[in-house]
Amino acid sequence: MRILLAEDEEQLSRAVAAVLSHGGYQVDIASNGEIAVDYASRNAYDCMVFDIMMPVMDGIEAMEKIRESGDSTPVILLTAKAEVEDRIAGLDAGADDYLTKPFSMGELSARIRSVIRRRDGLSPKHLTMGNISLNTELQELKAVNSIRLGKKESELMEYFLLNREKDLVPEEIFRHIWADDSSIDHDVVWVYVSYLRNKLVAVSADVVIDGKKEGPFRLSKR
Amino acid sequence: MNTGSIYGTYEQLLPGVLEHFLGELEKLNEQTKQLTGEGIYEHLHTRVKSDSSMREKCDRRGLPQTARSALRDIMDAIGVRVITRFIDDIMEIVEYIRGIQGVEVVTEKDYIRNAKPNGYRSYHMILSVEVPWRDIDGEEPGRCFIEVQLRTLAMDSWASLEHQLKYKKDIRNQKLIVSELKRCADELAGCDLSMQTIRNLIRSE
Repeated sequence: MRILLAEDEEQLSRAVAAVLSHGGYQVDIASNGEIAVDYASRNAYDCMVFDIMMPVMDGIEAMEKIRESGDSTPVILLTAKAEVEDRIAGLDAGADDYLTKPFSMGELSARIRSVIRRRDGLSPKHLTMGNISLNTELQELKAVNSIRLGKKESELMEYFLLNREKDLVPEEIFRHIWADDSSIDHDVVWVYVSYLRNKLVAVSADVVIDGKKEGPFRLSKR
Repeated sequence: MNTGSIYGTYEQLLPGVLEHFLGELEKLNEQTKQLTGEGIYEHLHTRVKSDSSMREKCDRRGLPQTARSALRDIMDAIGVRVITRFIDDIMEIVEYIRGIQGVEVVTEKDYIRNAKPNGYRSYHMILSVEVPWRDIDGEEPGRCFIEVQLRTLAMDSWASLEHQLKYKKDIRNQKLIVSELKRCADELAGCDLSMQTIRNLIRSE
């Protein structure tokens, strides 16, 4: 699991990152909102934790920019105790949860687990990009033609659509789609990318999955 | 009332046209076998449309029951169906047919890339081939039409199932059956592509 942490107070961000890393998360740190937007456009995250008050670009504006790009990764905002207006604005702008400073690390970890859990159960059933649409319930991929996908193919296509225009490395993809099965060879990622490529062509899609066998892979408009 | 074949004197000549064309396809099959150990197609179906079906088709299209209708206005007097194991083999055969001496492609329809709304997938071609006799327009060498349909084993078994639906009236749950057939066609197409991908992966090792 990978987390993006945007926090300008260096001491705090280092402490939070240390605890989360210890908990098995991979953590990227951004020191302001602008850097966070840049990171989010390039990497696939499972959750983002943004401080509201930051120089250059604040956490709410950064989140809005990320949401505008079609990214629905859960966001938890960190706010000062007095900033009720900020909390309201943040939730209305698309945050999934908030935490007031000072907070306990245990509570932050629990809230991260909670938003990730909720997202896994509530992923949208219809995802679109360019001329394609994926119905994850029917496992149907549609453009000019429609075609049925296998379960893992559908999950992989969904992961690509949720992280469109981002470079995704095979290990990261494997962790998301096949994490529950340690008996599977990691080459499975390449095989399934190959399936999806042929199937995208077959439905005359205007999106493609770029990348060589060793990755990274990227879903882009043609 | 109708004595003799609707094809007239051409009735005797059509099987020869079919045979010659099959010879060309068999050549490609042999070549591929030499190269990969496996033929390019699984099997072929051929037929010259029977006298009675051709007359029926003329009536349906509002055409007089003449040899000219049967050989010029209607283009599927001779029909060839090519069944392959893999999707890519279809386009390879199509390319080969385009290059056969004396063959001109009149029309092509790619129902694989653009499946029909009911899920039907197949590649259709109407060919005009050169024949060593005087044709109905008085040309020598003459020309004759052949309709070719190319599809995978999966597309073929789907089409035969769908065909049964077409000729059965008053099926209960007609709507459900139609939508299930469509789902089945899309699943088979997914399977065809998975098998093609695996073959490519094996061959590129």
